[in-house]
Amino acid sequence: MLKKLRQFDWFVFALLICLVVCGVIAIYSASTTKIGDEFQTEDFYKKQIIWIIISLAAFVVLMKVPYSVIDFLIIPLYVISILLLIAVFFMPQVKGAHRWLLFGPISFQVSEMAKLITILLIAKLISKPYISEWQILIRSFIILILPAILVLFEPDLGTALTFGVILFAILASSHLPKFYLLLIISPFLSIITSFSAVLFFVYLLLLLYLLFRNKLSYVAIGFTGVINSFIFFVTPIFWNNLKDYQQNRILSFIDPMRDPFGTGYQIIQSKIAIGSGGFFGKGFLSGTQKNLHFLPEHHTDFIFSVIGEEFGFFGCVVLLLFFFLFLMRIAKNMNKLKRKEMYYASVGILTCLSFQVVVNIGMNIGIIPTTGIPLPFISYGGSNLLFNVLAVGLILKYLNERSIFE
Amino acid sequence: MYKKKLHFLNYLIILLFLLLTISLFNLQIINSSEYKLISENNYVRIKTILPVRGEIYDCKYRSIVTNKSSFNLYFSLGKIIDKNKVARFISNNFDIEFSEVKEIIYRNRFRLYQDILLLQNIEYKKFVEISEQLNYFPSLSFQNESIRDYKYRNHFTGYVSKINEQEYGNLKDEGYSINSVIGKTGLEKFYEEQLIGRKGFEIIQVDATGKNLEFFKHNLELSPQNGLNLILSIDNELQNYISSIFPAKINGAVVVIDVKTGGILAYISKPDFDQNIFLKNLIEKDWDNIINDPAKPMLDRIVHGTYPPASVYKPVIASLGLEKEVIDEHTILSECEGGMQIGERFFKCWWEKGHGALSLLDAIKYSCDVYFYDLSMQLSLESIGDFTKQNMLTVKTGIDLPGERAGFFPTRKWYFENYGKFVGIVGPKVNISIGQGELLVTPLQVCSYFAAIANDGKWVKPHLVKKRIEKDKTNTISVEKKKLPVSEYNLNLIQTALYKTVNESYGTGIAAGVEGVTVYGKTGSAENHMGEETHAWFAGYAKWEEPEIAFVVFFENGGSGGGVAAPVAATIVEFYDKMKNDLEE
Repeated sequence: MLKKLRQFDWFVFALLICLVVCGVIAIYSASTTKIGDEFQTEDFYKKQIIWIIISLAAFVVLMKVPYSVIDFLIIPLYVISILLLIAVFFMPQVKGAHRWLLFGPISFQVSEMAKLITILLIAKLISKPYISEWQILIRSFIILILPAILVLFEPDLGTALTFGVILFAILASSHLPKFYLLLIISPFLSIITSFSAVLFFVYLLLLLYLLFRNKLSYVAIGFTGVINSFIFFVTPIFWNNLKDYQQNRILSFIDPMRDPFGTGYQIIQSKIAIGSGGFFGKGFLSGTQKNLHFLPEHHTDFIFSVIGEEFGFFGCVVLLLFFFLFLMRIAKNMNKLKRKEMYYASVGILTCLSFQVVVNIGMNIGIIPTTGIPLPFISYGGSNLLFNVLAVGLILKYLNERSIFE
Repeated sequence: MYKKKLHFLNYLIILLFLLLTISLFNLQIINSSEYKLISENNYVRIKTILPVRGEIYDCKYRSIVTNKSSFNLYFSLGKIIDKNKVARFISNNFDIEFSEVKEIIYRNRFRLYQDILLLQNIEYKKFVEISEQLNYFPSLSFQNESIRDYKYRNHFTGYVSKINEQEYGNLKDEGYSINSVIGKTGLEKFYEEQLIGRKGFEIIQVDATGKNLEFFKHNLELSPQNGLNLILSIDNELQNYISSIFPAKINGAVVVIDVKTGGILAYISKPDFDQNIFLKNLIEKDWDNIINDPAKPMLDRIVHGTYPPASVYKPVIASLGLEKEVIDEHTILSECEGGMQIGERFFKCWWEKGHGALSLLDAIKYSCDVYFYDLSMQLSLESIGDFTKQNMLTVKTGIDLPGERAGFFPTRKWYFENYGKFVGIVGPKVNISIGQGELLVTPLQVCSYFAAIANDGKWVKPHLVKKRIEKDKTNTISVEKKKLPVSEYNLNLIQTALYKTVNESYGTGIAAGVEGVTVYGKTGSAENHMGEETHAWFAGYAKWEEPEIAFVVFFENGGSGGGVAAPVAATIVEFYDKMKNDLEE
């Protein structure tokens, strides 16, 4: 027992606590309207504290449960996640999307659970011994595609994208040869380059050259070439057949300023809030931009703008530093994991967390398209917090269990 | 092997965090002063452009509710320097108390950066006078906007008024602002979604020198979409005529309905009130006069008032007797001796001298109570209840108005719960057979029922809105129809009885007769608990070549149906006849 405790990574745990505390402070400020001496605070921060306690309790339980039990539960939980993701469509819409399961006052975002379980299942199935490269690809695709499509139709583009990035990272960390990764992303690159014929031909030649270098069979290379050329020709036709508003929606995802009354306005206001914070910020509760209510939910996706405004560059860098140390420490320790499924799962979780942090902050400062991804551990939201804490708990558990197998 | 790959992920995280830090440095250190300036002066903001609320017209496109331009006074809390000074200025110049202004300011204390509507519909003279002084009060501003103008007093259009805190809480995600007006009753509430339209937006992005900040390049204006206009089946001419001949100081209701379409031609509930009062002043003191008036002018007696139907209900019992084959047109029931002994109680007929023994047609014509007492002895309470509901009485008609009431038909269970297990059902049942007792209906239900009798048994859902005018097309509203549970032969008997009531000597409805028009109808005089005059009812329909209109005239404590309500019905039919003739000429 003692030995086990020593294995527990208190540094990561301490950083986790620092982050959730930062979150409560930011949520308190974001939901407070202060004018002169008058105050009004909505009770989001109280709910967040309750969720933190629940999450930490779940964290402790997770550490106590034997690994074999968790391993056994992965497949049933995956099936449950899929069923719940379907059930979500029969729930009333909240803010124009079917994302939440509603049980009276409590709402539960299933996609958060599905994300974690999908990572675990992919990690489990592709680390079976004597498995071919194609089997790895096909298995991971089949497991991923179902939840990703369901989430995409909620609609929740941000989370659906997260699924894709996670898969890519897990495959990249497996022993798959690199050209498979190239094959996976080549259709997406074809779509992007199809708007310029010259760009596309340069890209296609480069792709084929790389595949030749990797000594792929001529059939496979020819097949890739045909597929990508086909995409090149079809994309413009598909694009022109889209309705104006559909084109606009895609374009404003890439360039939010095209949609000045929606995301564009939010980003401008978020940038003004963060920019006006300066070096030391305006001080706790003293932000003025948040009082404008330009963002309907600045305690969730745009919480970073409140931090930026009230704590300035200094506060932002401290928060970034917490995240950086947290992620780097996990990345470093992960290296010690010898069991493949644990290693793959850790890569997936780390990627998932890093992706959310970078995309959310990037969105707040206007350098990345708006996708509706919350800031892990900081943004208000119970399901997101619970499953992020559990994910970290899993990695710490893997590191603990390591001693048993060594 | 793993080590090498992990380095790649590490480097990626380092790179991305570096990128974020640089961007933050750029935003918060290098360009900070620019953003600080923008934040302090709030240069970039969205201005909403309000849509024009849809107007309401009668069947001949004459306006009932329109919009007019109005000068509205707004305040912006963020610019107020001395709250007391502003409040005193407003209370000195407008009809509003100092404390009330303070109250409004306090209620909106967290809406620092929004313009809050303070007063509406300010006179032009006052506007000019005050405008000169506004330089001293930068927190106050006038805006010229459109507000509702209700041309006629009535209950069906309802009224709009400023959104309250609770409604705002529920609706703020649907584009309502704290200054929005919202339909509170009547058609304004029922068709709120169609009437409101969609807001437009404009982005203002200039700095103090008027220089465009150019944050946005595209689509800086989203034009508003005006609300849909409603075309009603109401005929203003008929509506106003009936409103003008309505007896003074009597509360009641008149409904006239087109029997073929179910469209309501006239809809009068008295007393009424001026709906414009809800727009004059945002402080609720004038409203109290209306709300606390004992005559209840706010009550729409046609769909929200429920009353015992009295004898106008007799055709229902008669048709049930015919359908169950308990009686036919030749059956003669107990002799009327001014009443009838049932068990230990003597149930009186309204004609104390007694009608003698009657057949069905005469029983309806003379409105003899005894005939129906005796008939009800052979019918169960449940079958009467079911049949009443199948005739669309004591159920909601589904008219396009909010909060319609169903009325009430008591069940056996209800009697047991309210009067104890051992109450006799016979007594209440006998009372119900002449439309008294606990039975309650709305005037609209009675009118629809008589329209269905006129329309050969086809009941049509009553409705006010005939068409919706959308951008480039008009949509006629389709309506629900159903068949009354009465055979053609029996319906004919009922129609004949209603004919005899009005057109044969000694019929109770003789006063409703009109020369050149065939009027059918039934009177009713409902006893009510207060021991005052009876409620007067007259319901019926009028036939030219074809039956065209059905009507109900109802006066609360007005007296007898035949004496008071029937003559008014005759005047209405006469006027309608004249309108028809004018149209043909």
